[in-house]
Amino acid sequence: MNGNGSVELNASVEQVWAKILDPEVLAECIMGCKELVLLEDGKYRADLAVGVAAVKGKYDATIQLTDVEELKSYKLIVRGEGAPGFVEAEGLIELIPAEEGTTTLTYAYQAEVGGKVASIGQRMLGGVAKLLISDFFKKMKKQVENEQKTA
Amino acid sequence: MNKQHIGKPMARVEDARLTSGQGSFIEDMNPLPNIHHAAILRSPYPHARIKAIRTEQAEQMPGVKGIVTGKDVVELTHPFPVGVTAPVKYYSLAVDKVRYVGEPVAVVVAKNRYLAEDALERIEVEYEPLPAVVDIETSLLADSPILHDEVGSNIANHRTFSYGDPDKAFREAELVVKHKFMFPKYSATPVETYGVIAHYQSSSDSLTIWSNFHGPFTLQSVMAAALRINSNQLRIMIPKDVGGSYGIKSGVYPYMVLMGVVSKKVGLPVKWIEDRQEHLMASSSGTDRVTWIEAAVKRDGTVTGLRMKMVDSVGAYVRAPEPACLYRTHSNSTGAYRIEHLAMETIAVMTNKSPTGLIRGYGGQQMYFPLERIMHMVATKLGLDPAEVLRRNLIAKEEFPYQTPSGGIYDSGDYRQAFEKLMSMAKYEEFRERQAKARQEGRYLGIGLACIVEPSGSNMGYITVALTPEERGRSLPKSGCAEGATVSIDPMGGISVRISTAPTGQGHETVSAQIVGEVLGVDPRTVKVIAEMDTLTSPWSVASGSYSSRFGPIGSSAVYQAAGKVREKLLRIAADQLGRSPDELVMETGKVVVRDDPTKQISLKRLVGSAHWNPQGLPAGTEPGIHETAFYTIPTALPPDENDLINGSATYGFVADAVTVEVDPATGDVQILDYFTIHDAGVLLNPLIADGQIMGGLAHGLGGALYEELAYDKNGQFLAGSFMDYLCPTATEIPKVTIAHIETPSPLTPLGAKGLGEGNTMSAPVVIANAVADAISPYGVTIDTLPLSPNRIWSWIQQAKSKEEELV
Repeated sequence: MNGNGSVELNASVEQVWAKILDPEVLAECIMGCKELVLLEDGKYRADLAVGVAAVKGKYDATIQLTDVEELKSYKLIVRGEGAPGFVEAEGLIELIPAEEGTTTLTYAYQAEVGGKVASIGQRMLGGVAKLLISDFFKKMKKQVENEQKTA
Repeated sequence: MNKQHIGKPMARVEDARLTSGQGSFIEDMNPLPNIHHAAILRSPYPHARIKAIRTEQAEQMPGVKGIVTGKDVVELTHPFPVGVTAPVKYYSLAVDKVRYVGEPVAVVVAKNRYLAEDALERIEVEYEPLPAVVDIETSLLADSPILHDEVGSNIANHRTFSYGDPDKAFREAELVVKHKFMFPKYSATPVETYGVIAHYQSSSDSLTIWSNFHGPFTLQSVMAAALRINSNQLRIMIPKDVGGSYGIKSGVYPYMVLMGVVSKKVGLPVKWIEDRQEHLMASSSGTDRVTWIEAAVKRDGTVTGLRMKMVDSVGAYVRAPEPACLYRTHSNSTGAYRIEHLAMETIAVMTNKSPTGLIRGYGGQQMYFPLERIMHMVATKLGLDPAEVLRRNLIAKEEFPYQTPSGGIYDSGDYRQAFEKLMSMAKYEEFRERQAKARQEGRYLGIGLACIVEPSGSNMGYITVALTPEERGRSLPKSGCAEGATVSIDPMGGISVRISTAPTGQGHETVSAQIVGEVLGVDPRTVKVIAEMDTLTSPWSVASGSYSSRFGPIGSSAVYQAAGKVREKLLRIAADQLGRSPDELVMETGKVVVRDDPTKQISLKRLVGSAHWNPQGLPAGTEPGIHETAFYTIPTALPPDENDLINGSATYGFVADAVTVEVDPATGDVQILDYFTIHDAGVLLNPLIADGQIMGGLAHGLGGALYEELAYDKNGQFLAGSFMDYLCPTATEIPKVTIAHIETPSPLTPLGAKGLGEGNTMSAPVVIANAVADAISPYGVTIDTLPLSPNRIWSWIQQAKSKEEELV
């Protein structure tokens, strides 16, 4: 399963970059995530609670930020394992400066699931992935733009 | 014989309890105090190395009594024996590696199922994922991932056969028609899932296992060998009622062994009931098969030779009785046709999918799909009507008993009579006119035909065809299809019958009562039949169980023979008391009467009473009591010979189907207009049950044709884990079905009966495919895979259309 998209953010590349690398912000934006615990440089541990169709459950996950190019792009690797099975996802996030101090964020992802979540959730998975991702960027936009207002 | 009970549509004696909630199924059973409950941790990976299993946290959970992993299983069991030479190690739990999604990895035993399931979540398994292979043809490539390193390839079994002179047939052929067909992996979905209760007793080092297993009881020896105990230390008991199986429940046996190990290690009786998701993911299924088929044909439509290469995927392990699916129809590979030359290559491959096993039709649907499609394609190529091609090739009545090139002995039949009856039932010519008219209106109607031979009563010897004659020569020859039954009469005249056919809903109790009632001249409703199987007390043999439609030809015959022994004994006693010879006597409605002097008679009750209450009054040499056991087999069920000729089944019935459909090219939807089916299963023992079996088999075949597939993605993830994802036909999908019978008695069985109930499971997928192919023939689409989902048909039509546009 894969997909891509983009969001327009009313903030500068620098401001967006700071947010999308902040583990606290990431934890707030990822649905079903309470906190990110730093394991090593750029790698966090998280408990994710996600429901796909009838398969609800917790995943012990690691979230890793790699291939970081300052102010330009990074890769987000999520690996989760739990009673419902496993999830492996990889997303590439890129920032492009747009006019009047705004930023275009583009993303492309591919994800694979296994175990119970695949065997009974497959037909719902595309929809769930879209929901998770759009929710993530909606929250991120709010985070970034609220900062703008208060600043 | 003027029959009073056999052949009559007697209502099933089983139904009173089943329709009043008094059935006793495995989940209802509570045979021991202190039963604990097991839950199974399963692999989410199709192929991975197990680097570590950590169970400490789970062990500390409340109510948890113990945990079993692959390490325990290696310590306490042997790999399951299997009839191939490839060194595949198959245990009841994954050891070192997992090879399919859903493979059992660990078992938790707790006070109840809830606590056991909760504890599963606390077991940590560290996996190292490996590349997986799911596609049959890919699994044969040199660079394919390999499941079992010690085998060196994914091939579990490989044989070639040549019967007659196939090369000559193809050299002299006026036309050769060939195609590759793909039959999908699908299952049967009994309402009741697997269930096991296992109780290990250390004092006698023995295991008692209750399970809804139904044989073949050859697998009792497989289980005992895996458990490293003597076969009489493994007592298997089958509940009175089993909620359907259609073959699938024979695959419960690895779980029987697993729970045996669990009970032994934990020191408690353990119960495990499979849930529906586990059942779809990891119980058992039919094989998926790729077949390359070639027919050597004369211009008039006569098929003179066949070449077939069949590759079955048996899943991640070759599990007994596999690779039998490849060989179950070996004797009837040329179907209902007089085809003298046959070349075959059979391969079983292992792929990262759930292991396979018995399923209604076992091998038949996989075999008849290419065979009956190619007959249809021969007709198309020659510009003949398919009905003409079938007529030309059907074996004629005078040719029976007919020996097939591969050694099958078709005992009786009148295929042409049945076929003509079908054609008039279906009003074939009329439909052709209707079809032509509809096509002018832009509607796509089609009619499909299929003629199949339905084997029943498997000869144990057929499975050994997986081995070469040299390999077979090294061990005891295997043959026969033996089944036992006991008929006894208690001191007050109560008749009971004990059978070992382990019915799963087919009405064996009813038919056994009809037979015993007939033979002993009593009301069948007064005969008590005990169908609960117990390997320590039931009369059974290796072939016992419910599979290969064997009750019709074999099980019923054992009952008939045992009842005959009782009758003989009673007549001997009566002759003595009446001062006549036994052949002057007749047995009728509860008494024995002198044929030429009806005033002289003696009641059955009195005769039975003599045997029990007054044995001193019996004629000399007569044992007291009335308790007779008979075992029955068929003399033609011989081991395969040195040329690989094998008569794989006791009897061979015939089924011909005609199906009419309408296909909507805009949506790809198939509407079945009418389904006609004619059967010849020899003498029908109970026509009511026969028609019920036919409807059930047909529903299953319909699922295979249109709906069901255990789908996996390319990485080996399983995609059909619930009834939302695995589509089964329900009552609303069942079309109008017209059933007819002809009866050509089998000369081999005492009642002339053959098996039935699997026929339409074998024929429905291909006959519907033929009908759909006929309907959309204007598009030039070749149907070579199933199921025929709207999506698939629509795509074929679109492809055909765009090809046509390119040409324009």
